[in-house]
Amino acid sequence: MDAVIGVKDLRYRYPGAETPVINSLTLDVARRAFVSVVGGSGVGKSTLLRMIAGLIAPEAGDIRITAEQQIGRRRRALVFQDGRLMPWRDVHGNIAFGLEKLSLNAQERASRIEEVLALTGLTQFADRWPHQLSGGQTQRVGIARALAVKPDILLMDEPFSAVDALTRQHLQTELTRIWQRSGAAVVFVTHDIEEAVYLSDRVVVLGGNPARVTADIAIDDPRPRDRAVSAASSITREVAEALAPGGGAHI
Amino acid sequence: MSARAGQWTAAPTRLRPILFGIGGLVLFLTLWKCAEAFEWVRRGTMPDPFLVPHAAVDEFTSGRMVPAIISSLIHYAWGLGVGIVLGFLVGAAAAVSRWFDELHAYLARVLRPIPPLAWVIFAIAWFQVSHAGAAFVIAIGVFWVNYFATYSAVQKVDPRFFELAEAFGHGGFWTRARNITLPAASPGILTGVRTSVGQAWMTLIAAELLGVPGMGQEMNAAAGVGAYEAVVVYMLAISAVYAASDMVFGIIERRVLRWMPSSV
Repeated sequence: MDAVIGVKDLRYRYPGAETPVINSLTLDVARRAFVSVVGGSGVGKSTLLRMIAGLIAPEAGDIRITAEQQIGRRRRALVFQDGRLMPWRDVHGNIAFGLEKLSLNAQERASRIEEVLALTGLTQFADRWPHQLSGGQTQRVGIARALAVKPDILLMDEPFSAVDALTRQHLQTELTRIWQRSGAAVVFVTHDIEEAVYLSDRVVVLGGNPARVTADIAIDDPRPRDRAVSAASSITREVAEALAPGGGAHI
Repeated sequence: MSARAGQWTAAPTRLRPILFGIGGLVLFLTLWKCAEAFEWVRRGTMPDPFLVPHAAVDEFTSGRMVPAIISSLIHYAWGLGVGIVLGFLVGAAAAVSRWFDELHAYLARVLRPIPPLAWVIFAIAWFQVSHAGAAFVIAIGVFWVNYFATYSAVQKVDPRFFELAEAFGHGGFWTRARNITLPAASPGILTGVRTSVGQAWMTLIAAELLGVPGMGQEMNAAAGVGAYEAVVVYMLAISAVYAASDMVFGIIERRVLRWMPSSV
C-alpha cells in the first residue's frame, strides 16, 4: 500500500498513569485516503491524532510520515474540535498563521489565503473577528487555516461535534468536496458513526483498554453519497457493532 | 399626533442627564459658597468658589502654573514609563521562568506591602528634591501594579493556544511569545497599565506635597500663605490633566484591543 502514515506498535501512557491508554496500535493510512477513527470517549482517539501530528511523543512504537518535506508546505495540519481561532487575529490573520513560518513571499502568501478563503466559502468574511463568526464559520476558518499550508495529511479532531445538526450536514458535504480537491489524506476523529460512514473510505474502530484497532472497515460506496442510504447501510450497523462493548473482530 | 407626543417626551430624556449633571454642580457650588459665607470652618481657611477663576488667571499670568504642570508631567511620564516597562519585564519573566519565579517570590512578598510614599525618604536622600526623586517614587507604585497584572495575565494564557502554535510551526519561544502570549495577555496587561495611569497621578501629587517641585509643591506653597483659592486651582488642574491622560490611554487601549467583543 502506498501509505502516507505508518503507525506501528504504538504505545502511549498519560503522564503519571500506571497503565498505557494505547498499546500495540498499528495503522496505515494511504495517500489521499479519507480515514475516520471512531471509538468511545476517553479511548485515546485525540491522543492518537496528536501523536500523528507530532505534538506528543509515543512511549514506544513508530510513527512514519512518508510524505516528502517540501518548501512552502507542511506535511501535517490540524483542525481542532473547538476551532481554536486566535481572537486577536481576524479571519485573514488566523489563516495566515501557518503560512508565516513557511518561506513564502508576500504574494504567494496572499494568493494561498485567497484560494482557501474561496474554497471554504469565507471570502466575504476575511475581515471579521472570530467573535463575529458562527460556530460553522469558525470551523471553516479552522479548515482553511489547515489547508493553507497545503498539507499531505489533514488531521481533524471532531471538528463538527460542536455545531448544530444542519450546519454539520452542510460542512460534511463541503468537506468531501474540499478533500477531493486538496489531494490530502484525511484522518478524521469522531464519535458519530453516521458521520464516519458518510465521509470515509475506511472506518477504523479503536477499542479496549489499553486501546488498539479493533475493527477496520472499508467503504467503497461511490461519491457523492446519499446521507440516508449511508446511514441505513449494513456498514453503519457493522461499525456500531464493532463499537459496542465486547464487539469487534479481534485482529 | 402620537409622533408629536413622542418628540415631546424624547427631548427631555436626552437633556435630562445634562440638566441633572449641571444641577449637581450648581448645588455643590451653592453649598460650598454657604460654607464660606457662614464660616462653617475656621475663618480664612475656606476658599471662595467665585474667586477661583481670578486665582487661576493669577497663577497662570504669574508664570507659576505652567512650569508646575510641566514639571509634574515630566515626573509622571518618567515614573509611569519606567514603572510600566520594569513591571512588565519582571512580571513576564516571573510568569514564564520557574527559577526566576521562585527566586523572587519571598522578596516580592516583603517589598510589596511597602507604600510607594514610604520611599519618599530615600528618594530625597538619594536624589535630593529632583525630578528623578519624584519619578522614582511614582515608578515604585506603578511597578507593582504592572508586575502583578502582567504576571497573572501571562500565567492565565490558555495553553490550548500553545498547542495551536506548535501545530503550525510557531513552537519557538520568541515566535510564541510574540504571536500567542503577548496578544493573549494584552487585555490583562493593559488593565494594569490603565490602573497605574491613575495610581501614578495620585502618588505624584502626594510625592510633590512632600517637597518635590510640581503642582503638589505649588499647592503647599499657596497654602502656606493662605491662598486657598490657588490650592483649588491646582486641584482642578490635577483633575483636568488626569482626565486628559486617561482619555488618551482609553483611545490607545480601544485601538490595541479592537478584536475584543466589548470594545466593538
